[in-house]
Amino acid sequence: MKRSATAALLVTASLIAGCSGPDGGGGTAGGARATLNIATMTLPQSLDPKDANGSALPFFQAVYDTLIKREPDGAYSPMLATEWKYDDKLTELSLTLRGDVKFDDGTPFDAAAVKANMERFRKGGGAQAKTLNDVKSIEVVDPTHVTLVLSKPNPAMLYYLSDAAGLMANPKDFAQDDTLKTRPGGTGPYELDPSQTVIGTKWVFTRTARYWGARLPYDTIAISYFDNETAIVNGIKTGQLNAALIQDADQQISVESDPKVKTAKQEFDFQGVFLFDRAGAVTPELRDPRVRQALNYAIDRPTMLAKIRQGRGAVTSQVFGPATAAYKPELDTYYSFDQAKARALLKEAGHESGFTLKLPRIPAIVPDALAASLQSDLGAVGVKLVWDDLDPGSAVQRIFKDRAYSAMVMNMGQSSADWVAVGEVVLPGAFNMFGYTDDTVKRLLPKIQGSSAQDAKADLQALNEHLVADGWFMPFYRMTYLHVSDGSVTIKPQDGMAVPAIYNYAPAQ
Amino acid sequence: MLSFVVRRIAAGALLVLVISFLSYTLLSIPDLDVGRQLLGQSASQDLVDAKNAALGLDRPVLVQYLDWLAHAVRGDLGTSWFTSEDVVRAIANRLPVTISLMAGVTLVTAVASFLLGVWAGVRRGAVDRFVQVFSVLGYALPNFLVTLVIVLVFAVRLRWFPAIGYVGIGESLTGWLSTVLLPVLSLSVGSVAGVAQQVRSSVIEVLRQDYVRTLRARGLPPSRIVLKHVLRNASAPALAVLGMQFVGLLGGAVLVEQIFGLPGIGSMTVTYTTRGDIPIIMALVMLTVIGVIAVNLVVDILIGWLNPKARIA
Repeated sequence: MKRSATAALLVTASLIAGCSGPDGGGGTAGGARATLNIATMTLPQSLDPKDANGSALPFFQAVYDTLIKREPDGAYSPMLATEWKYDDKLTELSLTLRGDVKFDDGTPFDAAAVKANMERFRKGGGAQAKTLNDVKSIEVVDPTHVTLVLSKPNPAMLYYLSDAAGLMANPKDFAQDDTLKTRPGGTGPYELDPSQTVIGTKWVFTRTARYWGARLPYDTIAISYFDNETAIVNGIKTGQLNAALIQDADQQISVESDPKVKTAKQEFDFQGVFLFDRAGAVTPELRDPRVRQALNYAIDRPTMLAKIRQGRGAVTSQVFGPATAAYKPELDTYYSFDQAKARALLKEAGHESGFTLKLPRIPAIVPDALAASLQSDLGAVGVKLVWDDLDPGSAVQRIFKDRAYSAMVMNMGQSSADWVAVGEVVLPGAFNMFGYTDDTVKRLLPKIQGSSAQDAKADLQALNEHLVADGWFMPFYRMTYLHVSDGSVTIKPQDGMAVPAIYNYAPAQ
Repeated sequence: MLSFVVRRIAAGALLVLVISFLSYTLLSIPDLDVGRQLLGQSASQDLVDAKNAALGLDRPVLVQYLDWLAHAVRGDLGTSWFTSEDVVRAIANRLPVTISLMAGVTLVTAVASFLLGVWAGVRRGAVDRFVQVFSVLGYALPNFLVTLVIVLVFAVRLRWFPAIGYVGIGESLTGWLSTVLLPVLSLSVGSVAGVAQQVRSSVIEVLRQDYVRTLRARGLPPSRIVLKHVLRNASAPALAVLGMQFVGLLGGAVLVEQIFGLPGIGSMTVTYTTRGDIPIIMALVMLTVIGVIAVNLVVDILIGWLNPKARIA
């Protein structure tokens, strides 16, 4: 009796384990995987293009095409627009559109749809609406030609058209404002499968038979949301997930220990202190460039990288990433660890006895080790660093609305487009909230704005050198992120983005 | 008994109303800049203000609360600010996951802890010491450690069960079992330890009662004494502990759902609370409060059934 009960238990257990074991994630069909299971830690606000933003872009790429495609190396190639051309003043961008594309309900995609989409995006109140601020008007020339008239040159416009602002939805869905949020309709390679999708948890996109473009290798793409990397790493190791991005250094080490897992490294985010208050409104000492330089000399970047990120990254003193024209490799090591020099600079600036610097601390961004390291390094040159612990909810209010701090530690993505980076960290805005500028910046910006990034390379590099030398920022290092797959997928990282485009996945050979 | 139930339900309804008001007020602290969180740090203040106004956050908190309440009593809990998902649907999608865990843990705890507790209480000696050591260990081991070890051994290393994900019971019974078994096991360790100890103490106490000695003297078989008389009287305090454990399970479910990547109420609570998604959080608060009231009511009724003296109290 006892033996038969044990046998029954074993049979039941094996049935349970066998029926839906770890390999249940994705099947195979005709040598290629039928389903690509991607893990994400990004929760898209909606699937309406006007809400598209940053690392949520893959959700949108499945259903919508952009006017211009951005290749993994950051180069632009045709998508819904086959050609594009600026006029001599760089204030008119003419686009030639494909004439054979239809939305999922059969409505033709044309220049009127481009105008409707871009006008809606610009006025839609989304996070990226500002990217079309320089678009004065959108003129329909004929069904396959449209011209964007800009109020001033914007070297990042092609980048924006390959990003959120370039996503094209069916204008028929604009009548009801909420339709696209959960029922997206575009010209893209997939459509959302409502029967398998649980918004907020898992989005399943199935191949559209009538897609006009190149056939992507997967019949189905499932994107699952996780709020921690432990579950993602376990999912990758057991093959329940096929692809993911791992940011945490300890999790990277854990996942790399599995011989089946394939990895691709990418440096994208940099971490550092944004010294917003260069005019000294909150902390008067920061007005003097020598003080900002002293702060840069005071920190031991190599040790911080080794201890906090287990060496996974590269120390840097510049905010421009390697994919930009402004990047100069030698600027990565511009500030050496030299606390004697830091003290001398402070003395020169009349702050020999030091000063107090109060920074906001959000534990998710500034872990204990980083907080202690900065406090110790700056304390050694006489700068008393005081951390003000904030929860993420109240932090944004205190930092960006109240402007209560002169600086903060941030992780920030390094765009592959120079003007996007300039717009984020140099022009007045959220990350230059006090609107600080100086004569060098004022002299260089118009020249950069009136040319392409390659034509303005010398000026961009001069700007970058100036920002580093003048101590606008206090970068620590670029962090290495790890694209991981269970061994069945090859992932091409996307320049200037933490997450790869959905076009960058292919079955491993 | 009926008037007792009616009184408890009325008190529960009042409690729900008071908690809903307090929760809404606390969630609406001005520091929680939802518009900024939705649009990102680089959005202009004008855009952020416009987004907050579009969500109705520029109105007085009391007006916002009354608006929410008026919709809530009609079953309209709104849509998530952060995912545009219908709140009722969002919770309905995730509730089966957490219910599966809670029901599974309660079942395992009830069966295992009563078996262990009665065994230890009746047999004493080495068996008792073993159960006590197990209880101390089960209580002392941190839940996250137990969960991590279980997932690493049985899912990642041995591949007997999936490491992440959930299969609905309607889709596949075996799939459902395979996805909930390890999480239930993880949550049950501490739970069984706590309730088993309570059952053991109650059994020992009841066994010392005069009426048990009388029953023994009358020659009743020991098994009948334990099952019919001792267990019935020892169950009431154990049931109260089990009820508390059930309510407390939601806290443990947060961690287990995160580690096993289960799309349940626990992980949802963490994700949406940190963002300040009031429609979702309010629905979760109401669900939790109603759940706690219902469980306590059921426990009280059961205790009253087991021990008629308790009904007067």
